[in-house]
Amino acid sequence: MTPNPPCSSGACNGGGGNGNGGMNRRSFLRTSGVLASGIAALAASLAPLRDLTDYTSAAEFMQKHYKELSKDDMDKVLDRITREVEKQYAIRPHVKDYKPMDGVEFVYCLNLTRCIGCRKCVHACVAENNQSRDPEIQYIRVLKMPHGSFDMEKGDHNYSTPTVPEKGFFYMPVQCQQCKNPPCVKVCPVEATWQETDGITVIDYDWCIGCRYCEAACPYFARRFNWTKPSIPKDSINPEMSYLGNRPRKQGVMEKCHFCIQRTRAGKYPACLEVCPAGARKFGNILDPNSEVSYILRTKKVFVQLKEELGTSPRFFYYFDV
Amino acid sequence: MINATKNYFHFLWRCGRIAFVGDWRYYAWMGILSVIILLGINAYAKQFVHGLMVTGMSDQVSWGVYIANFTFIVGVAAAAAMLVIPVYIYDNKELHDLVIFGELLAVAAILMCLAFVTVDLGRPDRFWHLIPGIGKFNFPGSMLSWDVIVLNGYLLLNVHICGYLLYCRYQGRTPSKWFYIPFVFLAIGWAISIHTVTAFLYVGLGGRPFWNASIVGPRFLASAFTAGPAIIILALQVIRHVTDYRISDKALLTLRSIVQVSMLINVFLLFNEVFKEFYTRTSHVAASNYLYFGLHGFHALVPWIWTAILFNIVAMFILVLPMSKSLKYLNVACVLAIVGIWIEKGMGLVIPGFIPSPLGEMVEYTPSLNETLVCLGIWAFGLLAYTLFLRMSIPILQGRIAKSNEGASDDHLFAAGQKSDQTTASPHVTTTHI
Amino acid sequence: MNRNSNIALVGIAVAFLVLAAAFVFDLWGRTPATPPIPLVDKKFVDTSPSRVSIAEFLRKGGDPSDYECNICHEKNKPIKIKFDADNNIILPKEHLDIALSHGSHKRNNNCYNCHDEMNLELLQTRDGRQLKLVDSTPLCGSCHGPTYRDWEAGVHGRTSGFWDRGLGDYSRLGCASCHNPHSPKFPGREPAPGPHALHPIAKAPAHHESERTHE
Repeated sequence: MTPNPPCSSGACNGGGGNGNGGMNRRSFLRTSGVLASGIAALAASLAPLRDLTDYTSAAEFMQKHYKELSKDDMDKVLDRITREVEKQYAIRPHVKDYKPMDGVEFVYCLNLTRCIGCRKCVHACVAENNQSRDPEIQYIRVLKMPHGSFDMEKGDHNYSTPTVPEKGFFYMPVQCQQCKNPPCVKVCPVEATWQETDGITVIDYDWCIGCRYCEAACPYFARRFNWTKPSIPKDSINPEMSYLGNRPRKQGVMEKCHFCIQRTRAGKYPACLEVCPAGARKFGNILDPNSEVSYILRTKKVFVQLKEELGTSPRFFYYFDV
Repeated sequence: MINATKNYFHFLWRCGRIAFVGDWRYYAWMGILSVIILLGINAYAKQFVHGLMVTGMSDQVSWGVYIANFTFIVGVAAAAAMLVIPVYIYDNKELHDLVIFGELLAVAAILMCLAFVTVDLGRPDRFWHLIPGIGKFNFPGSMLSWDVIVLNGYLLLNVHICGYLLYCRYQGRTPSKWFYIPFVFLAIGWAISIHTVTAFLYVGLGGRPFWNASIVGPRFLASAFTAGPAIIILALQVIRHVTDYRISDKALLTLRSIVQVSMLINVFLLFNEVFKEFYTRTSHVAASNYLYFGLHGFHALVPWIWTAILFNIVAMFILVLPMSKSLKYLNVACVLAIVGIWIEKGMGLVIPGFIPSPLGEMVEYTPSLNETLVCLGIWAFGLLAYTLFLRMSIPILQGRIAKSNEGASDDHLFAAGQKSDQTTASPHVTTTHI
Repeated sequence: MNRNSNIALVGIAVAFLVLAAAFVFDLWGRTPATPPIPLVDKKFVDTSPSRVSIAEFLRKGGDPSDYECNICHEKNKPIKIKFDADNNIILPKEHLDIALSHGSHKRNNNCYNCHDEMNLELLQTRDGRQLKLVDSTPLCGSCHGPTYRDWEAGVHGRTSGFWDRGLGDYSRLGCASCHNPHSPKFPGREPAPGPHALHPIAKAPAHHESERTHE
């Protein structure tokens, strides 16, 4: 093909250029015809948007970052969330913004000698924290590991033996390790996740943009993304809610274990601990020398902080009895 | 001042109109791209409604082809600097005007990058949280916030340089050096930075040993400076083919030597990485094992990565041998290098970082149809943008659209498209040179 | 007028319109429905202790007659325990529901290690203290010292309620709420369902599970 400068260049000020009105009109019609069909196709291509419901509201869209909300702002936000939950789940929730307590730093200790791998903690957590049931979001993953190794690549996530524990294996539940030096917080481009003074790393679900950089940064597979609109049966909603904790999430944002803020900041034990049939889970204030976790860190000998070499300094300790 | 603004808008108006004028090949090309873009928009609308569930991504593999393509294309954008360096630092006359084409490619590439990042967001409506000042910008903590700055900065720099040079050409005046030379040098440094920062996005993640390696940054640059100029070599030949814009073989061969050296470095760095992983065989070798050989019976990426390595090595041999002085072989080498690097830098870099998961779980990733359509749409959008930029800038560079022929403009532009059989330049068009 | 251009433009316009129709009727790219995930059985979120101790049973108003030993047994008249040739205890038919398996080497193969032979409604510790049946925990502690110490610190077994004792009460389960005193090894139980993948794989490598288990 020869170079055929499509005249395009305006170089061909062609013969018909002057005064051939008919041609120009035709060319105009032709162009507009193509443009009109193009615009029609563009409009039609947006047809899926007709299924869009409850995506966001003006108030939610304009809402400021958690740390910039005044008391009044927060009251309005909590009110909005209450109304939204009521509309969607036909239940009136108590949504509160629990603040960290002074002189409290939470620590979790998990006794690997005692854990039997029953996964009750996984489901108690789901129920307490209003996690999506389908698709499934779970904050706790229990690994079945062969005796003698701590190599998680040897772990089995999908074990389904008729009974647990199985001989020759130990079970290791993994959830957010509430690191002192959390990689997920560092990478968030919009400060939608941060560490609070009581050591809990929280997420402002109304600020997260869903880039999932934190999910890539987390060495513990602790963060979960709402790949689609979460679904929770109406009768399974836990109405005791917190802003930074278990209020229902929207599509497209991250979530993770927050040590059951709505329970622990009210002085209670987290849900995963309360359901553990083996008493393998221990939780408390490390700044209180009389707490169970202080006793454990004082008297037990061997602790494992998962992937200690990464310098994340987890507040989650695995230990052994015998 | 008002007059200057009016002039400028008139310039934009003329540029805009010419975008709709061309011969049938131009129409067919733009039509096909538009169709693909529309398919992409439709697919994205579905994703917007139903969430990223419609992609193949999961909590285990939380980034996929979107970020893979993003990573590759950042490299293409950065490579525009590889045209600028010989021109302004080594004063290479052959490439002088071609710099504009390189920078326009950078602009199109950055637009694609921004599109790829946007479609990857779970909450695109909250994009404004990323805007410094009104949002909450985690700078300098987050590498992603650095990336927002360097990408947009690079976009502005290139838009400024191209726009300024083209507008001067249009007006027939010599560009003031103070108005663009400092920006050109800034852009060179900036080009390196966009790709370094993008590499650091990955390198900074201690929990992902596959990425947490200091060689990732240098490899990013080496592969970018291979794939980018290779794309420019092909693009310039297309321009030469479909327009009467003159591009010398010498210019292409200058680019060849850039691709040649970069490819050698790229393959050398790849060898370094492979040696470190497989000679020591620490527990961190799992991801590389998965990529190159498969792990625990999962091996989706294995054929891809070996294709990429084969392509890269063949391209390297063609490039170092004198045969690539012939454009035919050079083109083969460029295509092989582009495809090879696209696989290796995209899927080959992003996906194995997630497999096995930090808890040792094996969950593979395959892009869904919807996700693929979105990607194709963005690629088509990038090509369309680049075509438009060239469509506007080539007549300006040739002097066919200039302030001096403003009066005769609009009707002729429309008429012109219908007269593709005419090739003679209009008598009252004066070609201006700077 | 250039014919080729016209054909191209008409072609594009037609393509646009066809595309528009296809979009409106959503002809492709529908997301495949994934198999629904069944709701998990409520028993897996039940927080009640793994067994009901006597204390708990009686507190809840259970029938106490099973624990009124002296209805059948006579006080101060110890019954002789019978053993077979292998030194296994032979339980009388009234007590066949008891599976005695406390400790290895059959060292606890004897009711009177814990029960007071003179008054079977009481327990006896090794140091001679007498305890009610519902207060078994210190009895266990008299042998299991370190575990008892941990239990007292709230570290062995579950401590429920409030970690912040200023805000509310806490409760600590006694030994018998989890361990059967006659057979204290923690019994196995059915695990709750495992995780469901977001995108269920049609064909997972079949040898995966076994390969990893045998590593």
